[in-house]
Amino acid sequence: MNELLSNAQMLLYLLLATPFITSLLSFACSFGGKSARGPVNFINIAGLTTLFLIALAVIREVYTKGEVFAAGKWIYLDGLSALFLLVLALLAFITGLYSYGYMKHEVDHGEITVTTLCYYYGFSHLFIFTMLIVITTNNLILMWAGVEATTLASAFLVGIYGQNSSLEAAWKYIIICTVGVAFGLYGTVLVYSNASSAMAAAGLDPADAIFWTEVMQHTSGFDHTLMLIAFVFVFIGFGTKSGIFPLHAWLPDAHSEAPSPTSALLSAVLLKCAFLVILRYYIVINRSIESDMPQMMMLAFGCLSCLVAAFFIVTQHDLKRKLAYHSVQNMGLIAVGMGFGGPIGVFAAMIHVLNHSLAKGLLFCISGNVLLKYGTRDTRVVKGMLKAMPFSAILLAGGALGLGGLPPFNVFISEFLVVLAGIETNNFVLTVVLLLILMMVLGGLVHMVGSTIFGERPEQIAKKELGIMTLLPTGALLIMMLIMGVSIPKPVANIVHTATNIVLDGNSSFAQIKPDTRPIPIQGEVKAIIFEGASTQTSQEF
Amino acid sequence: MFDTSAIINNLAGLLVFTSLMVVICKKATTSALIYSVQSAVLVLVFISIGHMTGAGELYTWAATAVFTKVVLVPLIMYSTLSKLHDPEAGGTIISSAVLILLTTLIMILFFFVANSVEIPIIRRHGLEPLLAVSLGHFMIGVMCIVSQRNIMKQIFGYCLMENGAHLTLALMANQAPHLVEIGITTDAIFAVIVMVYMARRIYATIHTLNAQDLTALKG
Repeated sequence: MNELLSNAQMLLYLLLATPFITSLLSFACSFGGKSARGPVNFINIAGLTTLFLIALAVIREVYTKGEVFAAGKWIYLDGLSALFLLVLALLAFITGLYSYGYMKHEVDHGEITVTTLCYYYGFSHLFIFTMLIVITTNNLILMWAGVEATTLASAFLVGIYGQNSSLEAAWKYIIICTVGVAFGLYGTVLVYSNASSAMAAAGLDPADAIFWTEVMQHTSGFDHTLMLIAFVFVFIGFGTKSGIFPLHAWLPDAHSEAPSPTSALLSAVLLKCAFLVILRYYIVINRSIESDMPQMMMLAFGCLSCLVAAFFIVTQHDLKRKLAYHSVQNMGLIAVGMGFGGPIGVFAAMIHVLNHSLAKGLLFCISGNVLLKYGTRDTRVVKGMLKAMPFSAILLAGGALGLGGLPPFNVFISEFLVVLAGIETNNFVLTVVLLLILMMVLGGLVHMVGSTIFGERPEQIAKKELGIMTLLPTGALLIMMLIMGVSIPKPVANIVHTATNIVLDGNSSFAQIKPDTRPIPIQGEVKAIIFEGASTQTSQEF
Repeated sequence: MFDTSAIINNLAGLLVFTSLMVVICKKATTSALIYSVQSAVLVLVFISIGHMTGAGELYTWAATAVFTKVVLVPLIMYSTLSKLHDPEAGGTIISSAVLILLTTLIMILFFFVANSVEIPIIRRHGLEPLLAVSLGHFMIGVMCIVSQRNIMKQIFGYCLMENGAHLTLALMANQAPHLVEIGITTDAIFAVIVMVYMARRIYATIHTLNAQDLTALKG
């Protein structure tokens, strides 16, 4: 048992060390001038592959043990963070592979130098490292510091081209997010101070109030008003970083100006990491005080995010900005799922975390192909993709229609479940409004797909794809979207169910786990959720 | 004997005054100096709370704050502001009178909030005004960011917010491990350094410090 535990600890240390070391090596390559191109590409691929494999091993450890600690109580992974680690590991690996193809074009065409390429990889891995800190830390203050550090690391990536617009985007990103996350710090301080007072009054060590797991065990005696104020601060603070209305203004700028693989990471992983922090506080506050306010806030701001973003999605002609508003809308949808609540709503929110990440990773990468090929992101100019780059066109169409919620793709499942949760909780008016918004969003995507992939190819655009490394990773994402839409693999379903249970009642164990990796037919899955509830289904089937 | 609670609450009033001065002051370099003074007041508050509650950690926090908040951050800001000149970016978007009025409203609001909170250390020592100031201080920082034309002065807004959060931590959780306090401070300093670096790049490329000139990205 001790040996197994030390294996888990070792894996967690390796998990954190890998991107950090890869980052340092990438920065070191910048001293090598033009000759560093080969080595830095190798370091990037090697680092990503290692990280991916270690992350899978760590998830397996969590899957087996229920929860894993390391460095005393400082590092902690449970079923909830395992879901977010899965998202990070998968998307970091795939967007990292795509980076190779994307950046090859940028260096070949003189858009960036080899030194900048080294900085790009260095900051990318540093960015991944900071997101890993957010996911794996048990320390409330470090959770905040990790989110803050994600901004500092990724701001350089947003502004890497050094153009007026990218610098402007980087500034808006850093100022809005830093200020937003300062709200998160305040909320963190309020929760910590409240918890330490309560723990001191109970004769416990108040210093332990810094750990989320300890706070979860001693939630009695918290001040009601202070905890509600704390949640408002936390929601504003980390909601800013999650792209939730009204502090989402940084998101379209940063996502559109960053290199496409970075945009994919920002949208698919970073927003979710910040949302994980909100979830951690949501769980604590729900357990410590009786109030509907956190859930109502999720619902209200989730709906507003969906609504506001939908209008921009329809009217926006910049492909990447359109996708960025989709991120706002989908983060809103996750919040709506949480706001509807109950096993179905929370399950819908959790599975949408993964589903949206797959779709958005694919689409941002393909938008990179479009940008490199056509030299513009304007959907009124990009025409005839089917004739110019047929594989990219198919991937764009598949990804966009999947993101819009068409079956058999994955997003349909999560959107369907959110709607179902709305009906189950008697939120009929909101559910109808949500359906109208989703239809509007789908309309916007169908129009975008129709106008870009059909029509005549402009004469100056040659008929040629950009390279296998810009297609294979994105193709893999489309296949995963299909698999998640048709038949969710059982280990993935298990992770999502466990995350749901943790959000619902703080129970972190994977109940009755069997080493069964057969896929669950999706109809059975949805039926089980509808008729039995996610919690019941988890304990009965696994 | 001195009434330590009264001293602390008076220092809290001074914190509000100095933070308002940072916001409405016309010259950005002067704001850097006033920020240093306001941080010195914060250090005195740390020492006073430490003396009153017997929390020895606060003396260490005070020492760290002298180095980081009284010296380092103002120095970084002052030296950068001395090199970057943009007369177009001077002044505030909202008039000083409105800013003073807003500050008053913020403080009244948080005074009521602080009085409804049941935290033993605050009730025992009558430190409700300090809690109100720590919350209000944070919001004055937000006000600073939205009211400034100069992007460098917006950074002071973040610093004021961070000071507000730090004050709350010192007031309500002064038993926290020193590592926590160091973590917050270090992160905040890195944030200031990265923001200053970005502002310098913007000045070098776009030749402006005026937030209203950064309008290329819309929609």
